Amino acid sequence: MSNAKPKKKFSRRKFIIRSTVGVGVAIGATYFTRPLWRRSLAGLLNSAEAPYVGNTDEPRLWFEVTAENQVILNSPKVEMGQGTFTGLAQIAADELEVDIQQIKVIHAPTASGNIDGVSTGGSTSISSLWQPLREMAATMREMLKNEAAKQLGTEVADLSVENGVVTGNGQSLTYGEIVKATTEWEVPDVPTLKKASEYKFVGQPVPRVDLKDKVNGAPMFGMDASLPGMLFGAVVRPDQIGATFVGADTSEAENMPGVVKVVREPDFVGVVATSRMAAEQAKQTIKAEWTTDRNWQSSDIEAMIKVGKGDPVTIQKTGRPKRILDNEEDVLTAEFTSPIGAHAQLEPNGAVVHVEADKATVIISTQVVDITRKEVADRLGLDPKAINIIPTYLGGGFGRRLHTPNAIQAAVLSKAVGKPVKCFFTRKEEFQNDTFRPPTHHILRGKLDEKGKIKAIEHNLSSGDVMFGSPLFPGIAAPILGADVGAWRGGMIQYKGIPNFRAVSWRVKLPFATSWWRSLGLLANTFAIESFMDELALKAGKDPVQFRLEHIQDDKAGYRLSEVIKAAAKKAGWKDEVVNGRAMGFAASTDANTPCAHVAEVSIENGEIKVHKVTCAIDPGMVVNPDQVRAQCEGNIIMGQSAAMYERMIVKDGQLLPSIYGPYRMALMRDAPKEIDVVILENDDAPGAVGEPPMGPIGAAIANAAFRLTKERLRSLPLVSS
Amino acid sequence: MKISFNINGQPQSLDIDGNTPLLWVVRDILDLKGTKFGCGKAACGACTLHVDGEAVRACSYAVKYANDKRITTIEGLSNGDELHPVQQAWMEEIVPQCGYCQPGFMMATAALLEQIPNPTDEDIDNNIVNVCRCATYYRMRKAIHRAASIQSQNTKTQTS
Amino acid sequence: MRKNHRTYLIICFVIAGLTIGFSDPKDAPTELNLSTSDTRYAELTPEKAFDLMMEVLTHKRCVNCHPADDYPRQGEDSHIHNFGVQRGPDNHGVAALKCQTCHQDENNNYSGVPGAPEWSLAPRKMAWQGLTRVEIARSMLNPDNNGGRTLEETVHHLTEHELVLWAWEPGVDANGKPREKPPVPKAEYIKAVKAWAEGGAPIPEQ
Repeated sequence: MSNAKPKKKFSRRKFIIRSTVGVGVAIGATYFTRPLWRRSLAGLLNSAEAPYVGNTDEPRLWFEVTAENQVILNSPKVEMGQGTFTGLAQIAADELEVDIQQIKVIHAPTASGNIDGVSTGGSTSISSLWQPLREMAATMREMLKNEAAKQLGTEVADLSVENGVVTGNGQSLTYGEIVKATTEWEVPDVPTLKKASEYKFVGQPVPRVDLKDKVNGAPMFGMDASLPGMLFGAVVRPDQIGATFVGADTSEAENMPGVVKVVREPDFVGVVATSRMAAEQAKQTIKAEWTTDRNWQSSDIEAMIKVGKGDPVTIQKTGRPKRILDNEEDVLTAEFTSPIGAHAQLEPNGAVVHVEADKATVIISTQVVDITRKEVADRLGLDPKAINIIPTYLGGGFGRRLHTPNAIQAAVLSKAVGKPVKCFFTRKEEFQNDTFRPPTHHILRGKLDEKGKIKAIEHNLSSGDVMFGSPLFPGIAAPILGADVGAWRGGMIQYKGIPNFRAVSWRVKLPFATSWWRSLGLLANTFAIESFMDELALKAGKDPVQFRLEHIQDDKAGYRLSEVIKAAAKKAGWKDEVVNGRAMGFAASTDANTPCAHVAEVSIENGEIKVHKVTCAIDPGMVVNPDQVRAQCEGNIIMGQSAAMYERMIVKDGQLLPSIYGPYRMALMRDAPKEIDVVILENDDAPGAVGEPPMGPIGAAIANAAFRLTKERLRSLPLVSS
Repeated sequence: MKISFNINGQPQSLDIDGNTPLLWVVRDILDLKGTKFGCGKAACGACTLHVDGEAVRACSYAVKYANDKRITTIEGLSNGDELHPVQQAWMEEIVPQCGYCQPGFMMATAALLEQIPNPTDEDIDNNIVNVCRCATYYRMRKAIHRAASIQSQNTKTQTS
Repeated sequence: MRKNHRTYLIICFVIAGLTIGFSDPKDAPTELNLSTSDTRYAELTPEKAFDLMMEVLTHKRCVNCHPADDYPRQGEDSHIHNFGVQRGPDNHGVAALKCQTCHQDENNNYSGVPGAPEWSLAPRKMAWQGLTRVEIARSMLNPDNNGGRTLEETVHHLTEHELVLWAWEPGVDANGKPREKPPVPKAEYIKAVKAWAEGGAPIPEQ
């Protein structure tokens, strides 16, 4: 998306005067009319240019200028550690001509009208707001300058602006003073935006704007919220897959100490008490009855997730790969699997809800503000506008909070007692009622020509759903698309220099919830494809890095991928040999138009893979905050390492297990690589995706390295068996 | 039962069921939200605070044991506006991402540095076993070494 | 054993026997009920006493904290304790991860973390993991291994130390499931230990 646009004006404007705080500038949203149906769903999830889609009818509050000359930025995107608030502050500060310290980013409550219709996820927050936010901030700056010119009795051209202070005609006015003295605003054309060379904050490693609060342990998360007179709720949840609530004997619970009310609904039973412990203990005395249709085991799930089961959808095809692979000799075939993955984010799900006669307030960690509001409204029989969702900082998102039905239960409890109720999952419930990363099965086939180049390659993927069944997509999406875009994210062949290639998807609906897990299918798909590329390279007798470069197409995407591969190899000092008991492994992926490559350096210690160093190269388009890009790479690398090496859920006697940290093994301090080098390749495209792409290559990079030490190809995640 | 203790330099006295986990006393009764609930099973360490200077997981510590003890939470780690060396280092290295687990890690680290002022990487591996899902371990390790350095500089400044 | 030593020991046992008869009421009823109907505990020769005692001392509730290396075990399958928890310089863990970071003086039924006074690893010299019952018994009687204890001190430890007796009130795990107790009820175990010591503390060949 470029800066060059014809004259544009925000066509609707409404201004909110807040007498105590200052003046808010709410800019109407007809600008944002790029409805979902205009872009293909596949494009939405795979491209970096996800549209910002908000509720287009209401004016939305973006900025508020306070009397103290601070600017409050109401963010429709939530902050879950991915650094979005910091990036938005930098972008706004540059065009607004304020210092970064003057901007305070807050989560926009739905009452502000600034409601994100898409969700925070898919690595799209910065990329989707890059253009709109700059335009709004620049417009607001010009509005303030225009008013200042009047108030100072001079021309706009004679004004200078710095740090929220407008100077002209020998005098100065702060933004706060300007807004206080203005009653009627003119909205100018959107001005020319700054050039990259003019940025003060964009492109700089500005420290996170929420850093101090997080280091001080500020009460900023959903779990920390409270309202006056608040009570505590607990809901009985099943530990069996597919359990349907039949009824419950709550007689003992009614008499437990601290219990205010036992709440019986057709679909659940819960209890409200005066403390969390009282609610939990009362809940434990409830004898709930569930019916389940089947006593599921892991072997049942494994039997379902098999390439060839169900109807295939070809999601990618060039040339005649099937004909070649079906008929020619010396075709290499390989199978790979990945397990059920839990989110395991540290802050459990829950909400603080206060339901009153005709309205409700919901304080909640959510990635889907709009859906949360709609579901609570539906259950309470109220108009969505009567519900104010107040999002909080998330103690981890990772896709877990792209659906928040727990808000419904908390609302029902609050309504039943007529008081605010705080209701949160236990950790066991968190593990057993997750919307998991689905297990996968892959079969790859490949054929080399006489020069050792890939003549044909095919990736077959069987996976549980990611997108289908999520409230973000209407039920109609499944039959239209056929294949689940989330499941085959990263599953297409990225080496388009290969003359014949295809990717085929088999969709499986599992008996438990599977959905969005950071980077969706990218981790498992890249593990399979990039392990297979390693096998093909060895079969061809070629260096794996060189082998990949040979198959990249000659276009912009191919160029960017090649540069990233070369940069990673160079920085790592790539060599395909074992030195002092250590070996390197290589892998690369392209996700949402962001190519990324890893070199993992590992050894085997006490019979287990040990990761010493990871070198990462990434091309995320323009970099808003290089320190945060680096942080996202570091986090993705270790989280991906954790999932690839250690994590897995099993199904035993109808239960998803384990249900506690420890038995659900994850990477700890001792497991994380002591060295991580990140090379950021910048270009002047708009900012692209960063939050997920670096997850892709890590599984295969580690497995490929391990192969060089053990000569045993690891084909199943987790790589380390427990 | 009546339980009295000192928390972050303030005396506190409560009449409460002695088996209540200290975590809920701190969070819900004393309204100190910095100490977090992650699992309630002493597995993740998000609830780590100090009892008489030692790291304790508050979700698995009955408040009756806190009688006559000195409790420090993340809110009490700093000295007014002056951040603890661990917090200073966490700021310098820009460690937190979502931030939810960080107080527990900072408290565990502060307890470590109290007894091992100059920890090796192996000391860090053995002592710091909390769970961070955002996986900020790489910067945490750097921050722990930095905190040790800040602390030793402070000590030199005090004694010189 | 020298005669006056043995007499002293018998007097000790008699006194102890009188006090044990009035043992903690919350323990006694179930154990005694089991024993009166069980012929295993009827005729306690020193050799049979040894068998009963070692059934307990080789049980995971004991051996989990008597490892041969620096890592406690946990659970019914005696897996290595999660999170790399380890012995440390004085058997109480390491600086920021002591046993008492999580384990207190009593079981915690909310978290599923077991507890007893002085919760810690048995010193390396009292490592029992991987030893046969005969080797454990010999180690128990060897002052080099047992911390310089005499037989009577060993018996006192085995029958009265709260951490040892925890095995019969091991609490529940993180899922609320009660931990498995040793296969011999506490009262019968205590009787067996004493009967064994009284009978000269014989150790069979295997």
